[in-house]
Amino acid sequence: MPIINVDHLIKYYQVHEKEPGLKGSFQSLFHRQYKQVKAVDDISFIIDQGELVGFIGPNGAGKTTTLKCLSGLLYPTGGAVEVLGFNPWRRQPEFQKQFALVMGQKNQLWWDLPALETFNLNKEIYEIPDKQYRQTLNQLVELLDVKDILKIQVRKLSLGQRMKCELIAALLHNPKVLFLDEPTIGLDVIMQKVMRDFIKAYNREYKSTIILTSHYMDDVKELCQRIIIIDNGKVMFDGLLQEVINQYARNKILTVTFAKPVLKTDLKPIGVVKDWQYPQAKILVPRSEAKDRAIKLMQSFPIDDINIEEPPIEAIIREVFSKNE
Amino acid sequence: MSKYAQVFSIGWSSGFVYRLNFLMWRVRNVVQFLTIYLLWAAILRHNPSPAGYSASELLTYILLASLIRAVVFSSRSLEVQADIGQGNLNHYLIKPISYFGYWFSRDMADKLLNLGFAVVEFGLLFFFLKPPLVLPPSAFYAFAFGGALILATLLYFFFSLIVSATVFWIPEGSGWPQRFLIFVLMDFFAGGMFPLDMLPAPLYQFALKLPFAYMLSVPLQIYLGRLSLTATVAGLIIMFGWLFALMFLAHFAFRRGLRVYGAFGH
Repeated sequence: MPIINVDHLIKYYQVHEKEPGLKGSFQSLFHRQYKQVKAVDDISFIIDQGELVGFIGPNGAGKTTTLKCLSGLLYPTGGAVEVLGFNPWRRQPEFQKQFALVMGQKNQLWWDLPALETFNLNKEIYEIPDKQYRQTLNQLVELLDVKDILKIQVRKLSLGQRMKCELIAALLHNPKVLFLDEPTIGLDVIMQKVMRDFIKAYNREYKSTIILTSHYMDDVKELCQRIIIIDNGKVMFDGLLQEVINQYARNKILTVTFAKPVLKTDLKPIGVVKDWQYPQAKILVPRSEAKDRAIKLMQSFPIDDINIEEPPIEAIIREVFSKNE
Repeated sequence: MSKYAQVFSIGWSSGFVYRLNFLMWRVRNVVQFLTIYLLWAAILRHNPSPAGYSASELLTYILLASLIRAVVFSSRSLEVQADIGQGNLNHYLIKPISYFGYWFSRDMADKLLNLGFAVVEFGLLFFFLKPPLVLPPSAFYAFAFGGALILATLLYFFFSLIVSATVFWIPEGSGWPQRFLIFVLMDFFAGGMFPLDMLPAPLYQFALKLPFAYMLSVPLQIYLGRLSLTATVAGLIIMFGWLFALMFLAHFAFRRGLRVYGAFGH
């Protein structure tokens, strides 16, 4: 069953341009030049219940704008958006009680008060029954291990602790649809992993539908089966993560450890040597011939160990964007 | 309803967090009052009855004006313009809560806090300065004054929202340039420094055509019994009229503004 339906969504902004410096400022007082920014330019996709979809794209690609349209924050310039059967722009309470938007760079927690105060406020705002509230809160507090910090002023918390509390505040009403905009931004690797595990568990346990944007490919690789790649306000790719690898990764990487010294130039017939640090080498080989090249390598050189790997997902995504240019 | 009660309570508790800020803010109020009070006390020594006001009427006006400012003009909802400019509006727009209701609750919490302290401070000032105060001439004027205060509070609230809404179209400086300009005019035309009927007649007539006079000056004139019974009732009716107009305008401005809202700040 489709939960999110985006049909030819368009969102344009007017921004005014100013030449740098005092002269430009003065000129812009009297004569303003406006420019249209096509933040989202005819995007369509459908997301079913329980899917965890990754939104990928460079800064300014239109990811956040799309999420804001889905949340009812922005009035679309054109096209139609439907979430849980509602038009988000209408901002009906029945709709708002079923979704949440978490922005890694914006906090809803009351800065000067302990996080628990914001939780209690959200309980009233979302009209969550006492029993359900206590249950959900206990569960989330346990999952994220924040029992000891709930009564500390938010401004005194670390970024990681704050982000955990942000997530709790957003999830107290058990939203069926969750938009996560860079939830791991600025976090250290350990905290990123905690967040990731949590998102995965949440998706599984509550069968919630999640859209996630992130610049960390590890987030996407670990969490999302399906990805939507956006650039310049358009969808470049929509499908399984594996498909994008099959479609865009031209090479595989042979990581070899040699038993005896070999000459780098001798490896030319195998493939392009990307990395050479004796006894180890990384060799790029055409994807379709990876197996044959590996066999050839083993036959012609003294090999200690060999591995065939996919190129890092970052490199593949770069490939998608470069095709677009 | 309980959600707004919770907003009220959390707003109240956050008001107390910065004790030093709080103290300075209170001292500022007292100093502000003393400046105007001492100025008028000096004038009254030379001219005991300016523009038909007796000394006691005038000092009552000044004292009450400061007290009413603490109720009518004190407002958290000034932050609305920053919310719009910096995109923090997002947090409320996605939640099942009325944005106006949210800020009204916060304003109420703030006003109650303010009023509580103002009463104590003015009690002390009263004790030390011993100004000759007058009471409303009859129960009718006292009740009318109470009603006028509530209306004035609402007038100010919606007017302030309209000023904030301009940030949707004029985002520079998060709305402070336009607010300063408008509020300097507002303070003058509300009669915060002196009773408006001290102005030359044409200017006074003009002031009565604006909503600001009804936020301070008119309620005070009702208190002092300087308006006739019919003029008092007419004044209250005009306040209702302004209230509906400003309410409508505020809603209209937000409906339109949200269409151009960029939800920026990331």
